[in-house]
Amino acid sequence: MATVVSDAPLAHARDGRFGVAWLWRGRVIKRLGGGMFGLVLAVAGCGAIAPLTARGESSESKQLTELQQKLDQSLKLIEALTQRVKQLEAAQSASAPAAAGAAAPTDAQRIETVENRVMQIEATNAGRSGDTTGVPLHGFADIGIGNHTANEQQFQGANVGALDIFLNPQLGQHTRSLFELTFEVNEQGQVQSDLERAQIGYQFNDQATLWVGRFHTPFGYYNTAYHHGQQIAISLRRPRLILFEDQGGVMPSHTVGAWFTGSEHLTDGKVTYDLFAGNGQSISGGEIDPRSGGVDHGGAIYGGNLGYVFGETLNGLKIGVSAFRSKITDDQQFVNFIRVDNVAVYFNYDTDRFEYVGEYYRFSDTDLTPVGPLHRSSAGFLQLAWRLPFATTPYARYERAVLDQSDEYFALQNNGMSYYRAALGLRFDLDLKSALKFEVARTKNTDRNIQEWNDVLLNYAIRF
Amino acid sequence: MSAHSTIPLCCLRWLAPMLAGLFLTVAAPAVTAAAVGLAQLPQRWLEDDGRTLAIDSLAGRRVVLTMAYARCHVVCPQAVRQLQQIQSLLDSRGERVDFVIIGYDPDNDRPSDWRVYRADRHLNRSNWHFLSGSRTDTERLARQLGFDFWRYDEHVMHDARAVVFDVRGELQLALGPETKSWASAL
Repeated sequence: MATVVSDAPLAHARDGRFGVAWLWRGRVIKRLGGGMFGLVLAVAGCGAIAPLTARGESSESKQLTELQQKLDQSLKLIEALTQRVKQLEAAQSASAPAAAGAAAPTDAQRIETVENRVMQIEATNAGRSGDTTGVPLHGFADIGIGNHTANEQQFQGANVGALDIFLNPQLGQHTRSLFELTFEVNEQGQVQSDLERAQIGYQFNDQATLWVGRFHTPFGYYNTAYHHGQQIAISLRRPRLILFEDQGGVMPSHTVGAWFTGSEHLTDGKVTYDLFAGNGQSISGGEIDPRSGGVDHGGAIYGGNLGYVFGETLNGLKIGVSAFRSKITDDQQFVNFIRVDNVAVYFNYDTDRFEYVGEYYRFSDTDLTPVGPLHRSSAGFLQLAWRLPFATTPYARYERAVLDQSDEYFALQNNGMSYYRAALGLRFDLDLKSALKFEVARTKNTDRNIQEWNDVLLNYAIRF
Repeated sequence: MSAHSTIPLCCLRWLAPMLAGLFLTVAAPAVTAAAVGLAQLPQRWLEDDGRTLAIDSLAGRRVVLTMAYARCHVVCPQAVRQLQQIQSLLDSRGERVDFVIIGYDPDNDRPSDWRVYRADRHLNRSNWHFLSGSRTDTERLARQLGFDFWRYDEHVMHDARAVVFDVRGELQLALGPETKSWASAL
């Protein structure tokens, strides 16, 4: 329902006290109407009687003089107030010229209108009070159900996805910050927290920002376009090869270090760029560890991403290339070093009617202890989604990874086997902040532990 | 002195100032809190053709104002569709209105981006103003008008919302996602 707020002082009514006072004022003026002048006269009358009564008390003559002065002042004030009330009443009647021709609303209607206005003001301000009084709390959450869980084939039934708390404090003109803290349930059913991103950055201008901290490694498109909040992603889950590390992804999705990112507008379109360097990841317990606390063997990762966003022609299309090199260690008794070289090409075509995204990764890895042969692997996916009426978005995705099992980088990872997955899904936006997603998929591991299975998954994702 | 005469004396010392204070308290918001109007909003904006526009120059006609960002493909298209319905309705009434769309994301909602946006969506009428401003002015206007938004990296998280200013440039209506048809609310 739309709310009439024609003379509501929206911007200046941010706290409840004002709203209440404003409502009260409205009620007083409405109820008293022209009777206000009578009240003023009554007060003035009291003021006139009191001095007469007191005149017989000689001991209070000095006090009476003071009182007389105060009364004079009060009468002047009351006179001024009377004028002010008249002005307000005149202004009020002038602000509602349309109402003059219509039937006069009853007091109850007027009060209801005022209450609606106040509710509107309070509702509006409740949502934005944090903008100036502290750090707004935002985030995402999701719950899943299915014959398997989204990322753990061995579990089934209902499962808590992630509670993702996102903090984005505004620190000034140039300093920016971003923190993403997630709570997830691990394989043992225990809740674990993870500081997925912790970035502090200096924005030189609109086109360039230098971040330090833990960030999403800018390879390909998906990893920096979609983060931990599942509600904003079209699909129910990320492509398996770029799952986050603790979910079984085989790519170093997070880097701890420095990241220089920005864009440069051209005549038609713009160029985006990323340069980054940070701690070399390690493989620990079969998963990639971003080494948020620092490295102990001096490994490093560095790389970049160069993209082009089309302007008038092919508006909505972005293409790009990315590359990184990382010196990765493992948790074996005699530490191995692996040099991972990755090159990717990607595209994203995002319009009001569809979103198509595709990525292709090429690995050229070398075991450094001792120096071994070059291992080549490749992986990629293509996802097509169509934005249809009634807030429905069907999608299809195909993923394929052919990963060299003699490459220690993949061999040491629990999910480092080759696979393919074909998925069909449907996203339905219940409202602007919540979505239901349904997906059926067939997955096959094509080496190491060859097996295949079907997924039927449902996910309810929200943002707040 | 009788009790009857004493009470007014004691009370009167405070009664008049208290009453005056009460009236002042009740009347104060009206004095200090001017209604948000076009004139109170930041005025420095660029149209998609590069011309500058002061928002208060639109006073004299009704103004429907919303915020959007050019790369939004879910919420903003819904809002724009609602604005188009308002346009159709007011066309049928023979009423002229200005539509103002202000970019949430100044880094990416530049005049050239809006130019492409309106061309792609055939929003060519001259009473539609796609505006870009500084980050400070954008955030200030959003706060003034209750457009709640936050950034999730390159995503701008926001609702579908619009406000309507009357011909005097004063805020008249607020429309939100709970309003099924914005046009019918006018």
